[in-house]
Amino acid sequence: MNLFELKENLNDSGSLITFSGSFSHGIIEELGTAVRAYLESETVQKSAMMDVFSVYIEAAQNVRNYSGSAPDGILVIARQGDHYEVHSGNVMDGAHVAELTARLEKLVGLDKAALKALYKEQLRQERPADGGAGLGLIEMARRASQPLSWQFRPLPDGRQFFSLRVVV
Amino acid sequence: MNVLTLVPTASTPEVRFDPESGVLLLKGESYPENSLELFRPILSWVEDFLKSTTLPVKLEIGLTYLNTSSIKSLMDLLDLLEDAHRENREVTVTWFYDEENDRALEMAEEFREEVTLPFFVVPQK
Repeated sequence: MNLFELKENLNDSGSLITFSGSFSHGIIEELGTAVRAYLESETVQKSAMMDVFSVYIEAAQNVRNYSGSAPDGILVIARQGDHYEVHSGNVMDGAHVAELTARLEKLVGLDKAALKALYKEQLRQERPADGGAGLGLIEMARRASQPLSWQFRPLPDGRQFFSLRVVV
Repeated sequence: MNVLTLVPTASTPEVRFDPESGVLLLKGESYPENSLELFRPILSWVEDFLKSTTLPVKLEIGLTYLNTSSIKSLMDLLDLLEDAHRENREVTVTWFYDEENDRALEMAEEFREEVTLPFFVVPQK
């Protein structure tokens, strides 16, 4: 493995923190603390810091909860000019691609007011069977300054690698 | 009834519910691994308290961050209190937020919009 090139690639992408591996809850907490310490040292406004932190938590918890029995994934928090970006990636069951795509596409067309209305509607729904709240993607879209963007990459075993980019 | 006390961690709030005073305190951050597990004893304590006493209920919230799963669980708690309020129980909610944090104010306001009980949003320095 060429760690120098890997590190150069991450630096070129503006990466502040990158984690690849098994997402335990403890790791999510630790990285969260590191993210906040960094943003505080940059004297980022509190509301902007909360936006980045909130997107980070929702993205990391999604990776942990939706990547199957081995919660393996990658998460990058990066800075690009005035913006922060949270990238997350994980392998998922190919059977859920259509549903996830439909949910994401629905969010892309909505402005802030419509996203708030959808959030409130979802808040009043019964919890989905997975025990989540069904609110994570809507929350990320509300905090984002640009529409969410994503990619699926098919794997030989029929599963898919899902990557999501949120610009705050 | 016993006082309900939960010691805070990085991702779970301080909880102190006192059956003598009717003050229910939630303070800190909430983004646990499993918010249903965190909130289950909280909700059942409040249900018992509402049934077994007639005291006023004063929920005091100083939560600075909630993940969406915790937001859903806190909504369940507010729904319990809203039901009690509609049955003429004296219920107040006071939400303290950092006055430098617009997002914290928005979050409090969005909860307030969901209920009709007395809900005060108070800035703190």
